[in-house]
Amino acid sequence: MTAEFAYPPDREAQSAARVRALEALLIEKGIITGTTVDKVLGYFEADMTPLNGAKIVARAWVDQDFAQRLVTNTPAAVAELDLPIGMDGAEGEHLQAVADGPGVHNLVICTLCSCFPWPVLGLPPYWYKDPTFRARAAREPRVVLKEIGLDLDPSVELRVWDSSGHSRFFVVPERPSGTDRMSEEQLVGLVTTESMIGIAQVPAPA
Amino acid sequence: MKLQHHLGGLENLGPINYERRVFVEDWEQRIFGIHVAMMGLSDHLGEALPEYPIDKVPTNFRSTWTWADLRMGAEAMNPFAYFQYRYYEKWLGGITGFFVSQGYITEEELQQKTALYLNNPELPLPSDGEESVDEQVIRYLREGDSLRRGPAESPRFSVGDRVTARNVPPTDHTRLPGNVRGRTGTVERVFDGNYGYYCSTGPDGIGSPMPVYAVRFEPTDIWGELAEPGAVIYADLYEAYLEPALEDKQ
Repeated sequence: MTAEFAYPPDREAQSAARVRALEALLIEKGIITGTTVDKVLGYFEADMTPLNGAKIVARAWVDQDFAQRLVTNTPAAVAELDLPIGMDGAEGEHLQAVADGPGVHNLVICTLCSCFPWPVLGLPPYWYKDPTFRARAAREPRVVLKEIGLDLDPSVELRVWDSSGHSRFFVVPERPSGTDRMSEEQLVGLVTTESMIGIAQVPAPA
Repeated sequence: MKLQHHLGGLENLGPINYERRVFVEDWEQRIFGIHVAMMGLSDHLGEALPEYPIDKVPTNFRSTWTWADLRMGAEAMNPFAYFQYRYYEKWLGGITGFFVSQGYITEEELQQKTALYLNNPELPLPSDGEESVDEQVIRYLREGDSLRRGPAESPRFSVGDRVTARNVPPTDHTRLPGNVRGRTGTVERVFDGNYGYYCSTGPDGIGSPMPVYAVRFEPTDIWGELAEPGAVIYADLYEAYLEPALEDKQ
């Protein structure tokens, strides 16, 4: 998206130095500590990753009642699982699962900014935050999905969820064929971040 | 109008950069961490739902910093600059601007230190600070800052009602996507409870607790003949953004 603009050659070095200068000043002035930023990053690396979402999806695939509870009261259903403390913490306060099924495909977007269910999916990938995706996925979601490699049948209803309010959406994709004999743990390994945002389906195992 | 309020449906942007990484430069992680720390130390958290003991946390940060503040900064940008700068470049600009404008740091000392780190990228950061500051930030991440406040006493609309999104003035900040403004949709869900916002958005209309609705729009009602068949678009909309459908005006 930014190819149209001219940038100074030391663009990244300048930003790197400026953010380091800012962090150093904030530590010196007693606003944050020398370890605050590392601890924040460690929190996401250790606990808040798409693995949480994959576990939720796999449980929904093997337990129909759970799948139903998951869409009707997402926070309560998520709380049933043995996941890290904080699933209802920052950006998880109002989780909302939306389920794919025969003839239905869901896509999560945020046209105003980059709202994302952190505890379930971790931090958002760059494309999700890109103004081009946000603009185009609202008006031409099928074309966007097709460009990325998901050619939805015209008979499928595509439900686009714009995260403009408190809900933080994630998609429960369809369970791929050929997985009947797989354990819940094995199914967890199949679920991708992209499928839980709705730009992909979960591929059948090779 | 503000372009940033009307991104949905903007045409001619070309292909999407399908970059899967969260951070494309190491430095981006640091500004993300600073933003989260500011949210976790924000003085409004004393009144947030877990009633964090924020005034007892040994930080010199004594300001309100929420998603609203970060978003307001992005919405205040020149729209060309909004497209020019990468996601975390916008954060860096907004957050440094905040600390300078609030008097926590000066632009001069920031420039001096930037020059220092530019010439000495390996120079370590200071190691000061009390652990309870970090503990508060992590507690905020684990317990959050829900906008839900109290029961919804008498929501104006019910499931199935036809509603039209207002076209509120383009003030500092909004949660009403431009592409649904003036458009009519159907209430799909009335959320339990009332929902406040991190700040008052003034004439835009949100801030105090009010009902929120999931509203379903037919793409043809938004994009006309440019709409793709076989899709529906949903938005969570605060009650202040809605009025009874003006069907006869369409």
